[in-house]
Amino acid sequence: MLRTISGWIALLLAGYLPASLQSSNPVAPAASTNRALLDRYCVTCHNERSATAGLMLDKANVENAGEGAAVWEKVVHKLRTGAMPPPGRPRPDTASYNSLITDLETALDRASAANPNPGRPAIHRLNRAEYTNAIRDLLAIDIDGELLLPIDEVNHGFDNIGDALSVTPVLFERYMSTARKIARLEVGEPGSRPFSEKYEVHKFLMQDDRMSEDLPFGSRGGIAIRHHFPSDGEYTIRVLLQRNSRNYIRGLAEPHQLDFRLDGERIQVLTVGGGDELKGKPGPIFSQAAQIGDPISEAYENGGAEAHLEVRFQAKAGTHVAGITFLKKNFVPEGVFRPRMTQFELVQYKGGEPAIDNVVITGPYNAAGLGDTPSRRKILVCRPARIAEEGPCAGKILSTLARRAYRRPVTDKDVRALLSVYEIGRNESGFEAGIRAALERILVGPEFLFRIESDPPNLAPDTAYRISDLELASRLSFFLWSSIPDDPLLNLAESGKLKDPAILSQQVRRMLDDPRSRSLVTNFVAQWLYLRNIHSKTPDPRLFPEFDENLREAFLKETELFVESTLREDQSVLRLLDANYTFLNERLARHYGVPNVYGSHFRRVTLGPEFEARRGLLGHGSLLTVTSYGNRTSVVLRGKWLLENILGAPPPSPPPNVPSLDDSGTAGKPLPLRQLMEQHRKNPACAGCHAAIDPLGFALENFDAVGRWRTADAGTPINASATLPDGTQLDGPSELRNMLLGRPEDFAGVVAERMLTYALGRGLEYYDVPAIRKIVREAAREDYRWSSFILATAKSMPFQMRRSQKP
Amino acid sequence: MSGANASPIGRSNQQMSGANLSPTMIFKTAIPRRTFLRGIGTTLALPLLDAMTPAMAAPDKPAKRLSIVYIPNGRIMQQWMPKAEGTDFELPLLLQPFAPFRDRLLVVSGLCLNIAKAWPGEEVGVHERPCGAYLTGVHPKWTDGADIQNGISLDQIIAREFGKHTQLASLEVGLDSAGILGACEKGWSCAYVNTLSWRTPTTPTPMENDPRKVFERLFGDAGSTDSAERRSILRRNNSILDSVSEATAGVLRGLGPNDRTKISEYLDSVRDIERRIQIGEQQTSRELPSLERPAGVPATFQEHARLMYDLLVLAFQTDLTRMTTFMVGREKTERTYPEIGVPDGHHPLTHHGWDPQKIEKVVQIEALQSKMFAYYLEKLRSTPDGDGSLLDHSIITYGSGISEGNGHSVVDLPLVLAGGGSGELKGGRHIRYPQNTPLANLQLTLLDKLGIPVENFGDSNGKLDLLAV
Repeated sequence: MLRTISGWIALLLAGYLPASLQSSNPVAPAASTNRALLDRYCVTCHNERSATAGLMLDKANVENAGEGAAVWEKVVHKLRTGAMPPPGRPRPDTASYNSLITDLETALDRASAANPNPGRPAIHRLNRAEYTNAIRDLLAIDIDGELLLPIDEVNHGFDNIGDALSVTPVLFERYMSTARKIARLEVGEPGSRPFSEKYEVHKFLMQDDRMSEDLPFGSRGGIAIRHHFPSDGEYTIRVLLQRNSRNYIRGLAEPHQLDFRLDGERIQVLTVGGGDELKGKPGPIFSQAAQIGDPISEAYENGGAEAHLEVRFQAKAGTHVAGITFLKKNFVPEGVFRPRMTQFELVQYKGGEPAIDNVVITGPYNAAGLGDTPSRRKILVCRPARIAEEGPCAGKILSTLARRAYRRPVTDKDVRALLSVYEIGRNESGFEAGIRAALERILVGPEFLFRIESDPPNLAPDTAYRISDLELASRLSFFLWSSIPDDPLLNLAESGKLKDPAILSQQVRRMLDDPRSRSLVTNFVAQWLYLRNIHSKTPDPRLFPEFDENLREAFLKETELFVESTLREDQSVLRLLDANYTFLNERLARHYGVPNVYGSHFRRVTLGPEFEARRGLLGHGSLLTVTSYGNRTSVVLRGKWLLENILGAPPPSPPPNVPSLDDSGTAGKPLPLRQLMEQHRKNPACAGCHAAIDPLGFALENFDAVGRWRTADAGTPINASATLPDGTQLDGPSELRNMLLGRPEDFAGVVAERMLTYALGRGLEYYDVPAIRKIVREAAREDYRWSSFILATAKSMPFQMRRSQKP
Repeated sequence: MSGANASPIGRSNQQMSGANLSPTMIFKTAIPRRTFLRGIGTTLALPLLDAMTPAMAAPDKPAKRLSIVYIPNGRIMQQWMPKAEGTDFELPLLLQPFAPFRDRLLVVSGLCLNIAKAWPGEEVGVHERPCGAYLTGVHPKWTDGADIQNGISLDQIIAREFGKHTQLASLEVGLDSAGILGACEKGWSCAYVNTLSWRTPTTPTPMENDPRKVFERLFGDAGSTDSAERRSILRRNNSILDSVSEATAGVLRGLGPNDRTKISEYLDSVRDIERRIQIGEQQTSRELPSLERPAGVPATFQEHARLMYDLLVLAFQTDLTRMTTFMVGREKTERTYPEIGVPDGHHPLTHHGWDPQKIEKVVQIEALQSKMFAYYLEKLRSTPDGDGSLLDHSIITYGSGISEGNGHSVVDLPLVLAGGGSGELKGGRHIRYPQNTPLANLQLTLLDKLGIPVENFGDSNGKLDLLAV
């Protein structure tokens, strides 16, 4: 709701508002003064007769703002952003303006404290990420959630909003088949038939260097795979090589060594390419449909060359890393300099070096035993030696499992239900089959899939109450880890100690320090900043021929590592905007023009004074690409992104039927972007919003659509100057950054609002705003550090409480 | 596939930008079961209304099935097209393997995909358009972006109706691996060649090429078709779902009315799966030919095709579905056939430029594909179904959207119909239709024969008289 307030926005009136408003010295409520202010400056439009924007301030009681919080929070929001009165209309002096805001906020906060409204989050189904993490923590097994489960609905910018997460028959079917797969992997299935798992390498991932930290130094290309081997036995790895569009295998002219490893230990090396078969007359290096080579070369290049690329080896049950890669051949190219080939040329080219298209791991053959994998050890807390021991052992295993999976103490009824399913499986094929069946039951049941919060019995309807410790434990773990609570947290909750503020703080800090809090980066920040959109961006290969999957992955990695470093080091969130370092590998450094960075792994790099413009998130290729089109930058997308995600003043939606930009200049030359955007300025219907949006984007024009620094566009020198609606002048990213840093409480407000939405799993309403203000105040005391936001959120009223059902 | 969606299919959206054709499909409401069941024992006087047919799958009257098999890159028409028409036609080389089924074979010629010809301004896409139009009768939209647009395909229309009675509404399989990304040719999305099947004008249905995954779709977790194993899995699933339903009832009791909606949705899904399992239980009593869950994708074409045909037969035999679509190869497929001595890619070979050696190789590939199709027909014939065989009660089409591959001709397409269609098809003839008869007329006719009559389909201009001599 807060984000959809429509109407005119004139933004960022730095001249009108002081940099920080502290309600530390409330003047004795000059309510009559406030009434007079409203009557003079607001009621002209916002009265009962005209009801502009549905607001009737003549009738609203400003002396008792707490009573009409829904209305007055709207008013406060407009005043805080300086949007009202609209530009051109008379405005009170700064002191009175600010005093009105302070009075209103104080009254609203007081009313909220007296009569808290924590809202009521809807029942929460575990989303895909939470399910995957829960399996990891419950069963010590890694599954590919993205492959097994469908994508979740997004609402309010996040995919963990209870309202939006539903269960359809298709999804339930997937839960059932996923549970079966997991149970088989976890407990093992004796006598399982061999089956294949295929792992593909993305076609546009350049395999010209070391591909992953799991592959050895001096390797080139290929893939490292974390594969679960279901039992001890023999397995095969089969490799198929990359082909061009005419189906010829690439890079066979010279011999190359293909290295196969398991957990870093070499299994075998096979030679690829350079066969005598090519001594005849092979087809041309850029394959044609009509011209083919002699039959022997054709057979070789169409498949013969890879027929032998299979290795057979013994493996123990459990998860292992299979590495398949080429040994790097070091050479310096001679002759005429060849620019990097575009994807168009590559599809027909069969020269260069060979690359891997996909790897198939098949097995187990001659399965020997289920082995002793970490996952089996985790759940099989006892192993029955005799038939008589089976029942009690099953009970023990299942109740331990269920407690963690259901996030609460198990009842006799729970255990009996699980044991009856166990019995069916056990009667079919023994103890382990019984455990598997019961595990499947756990994983598809409502107790696991849903986060259930219950109103206390005998509580009056529509009343705020403190949620139980167990419910709080789940809220905490899903907030900080996107996963189930661990045993220490559960134990504390069960013994009722989580209510103690000191213990709560201690747990929050412990959970932040835990590596699982990385989910705050990959789930919370990635969605808040639209980082996930990087996967769907397709920069035009004609304009950006050097953009490939390696760069896309590098963009993502840079931002994730950067954000994580600020989190782990508990820095102020403001450092996200202006830190003097980032994380680069050679590919990315080359892209940015940062010298002396070699190798494919990421390392922290301090940005010297010549890279001042790159500091902070605004200099990251990821976000610069996400906020561009495939063929050009967009000041509107960038301005909108800044308004939404950094300044907390999202612009209203455009009117329908806005025609697209007329690209062509009169002389047949493409117009520079600034001239195109003139249309926004000239047309008053557009200018109202675009006067706030466009200038922010112009300040970033030195970064092209894939985040490179440029000084000209289509022959025209870049003009990164901008004038904000309040008259402030900016030129370039550094000045933009300084402007943003000059209003830290705006950014802090965004962080608090986004974080509270994510933590609660529901959209925020007017009655949540006092909580946001409180979080910002508490964070300000600690310099806006990450931990201060997180602690304040965990302690906030809506997080600790819930509203009971309406009658 | 949930029984909840029982309403007849509404209007379909087949507007193509720039097209004169704006075909709309109006479906007659299927006559409710009750109306005819009463009269089933004494229906001699009642005309056999096609609209009743799908609901008429009473236990001793086996249902009709449709199986579409698509062959890519056209055919060497000289070796395919019989010269004589009527009942006394010779079987050229590529139709020779179908000789044992002559009385169940209808060779159809003269149909064309004029709708797939390039529109003014369009370039290339000579494989994308025919493939996209084969089951839709619509000119696919020229785009390589996210705004792909085609029509709803024949098999999906049938699936919506047949799916009311089977566990799987339809099954789409192929032999070439799943999609190439992005643009296949200048401006034409690969979506148009990756599949024949379109659930909506903008939703292509992927074709599964991994026999293991197909097996799992049909038989779930079972390691084989052994009925004891399937029964044991069913028992286990039933007990899990029973337990889940009970627990959910308990959860529901403790919730307020608003929260109940979410859990009720969940419970509905549980019940839906239970229902399908119940349908499945009826099939476990049948003994099926023994087939173990395949390990993965076989290495050679022949093994892969044989396995896939086996699975298609099983799908009909178990009544898990009555509508299957099989793409033997993707248009422009570069598959090589080293096992028969053809190491060259299929597609480049079909651009033979009238080189007899290349033509010979193409014929070898096509003959192998015919041979595998004959294997399929044989399996269908030898699988009992009610009072006859699966072949008697199915309609199988085997054809391509391109005739002469060298020139990407879309007229006079290679096409045969096989099977008895429960009396709807009369084989043993070669019918040549007048020039420019749209392929969509065949699709329209098939819909009619399968009891889903519509007024028009794609660019159809009438039905085909399949009983002509």
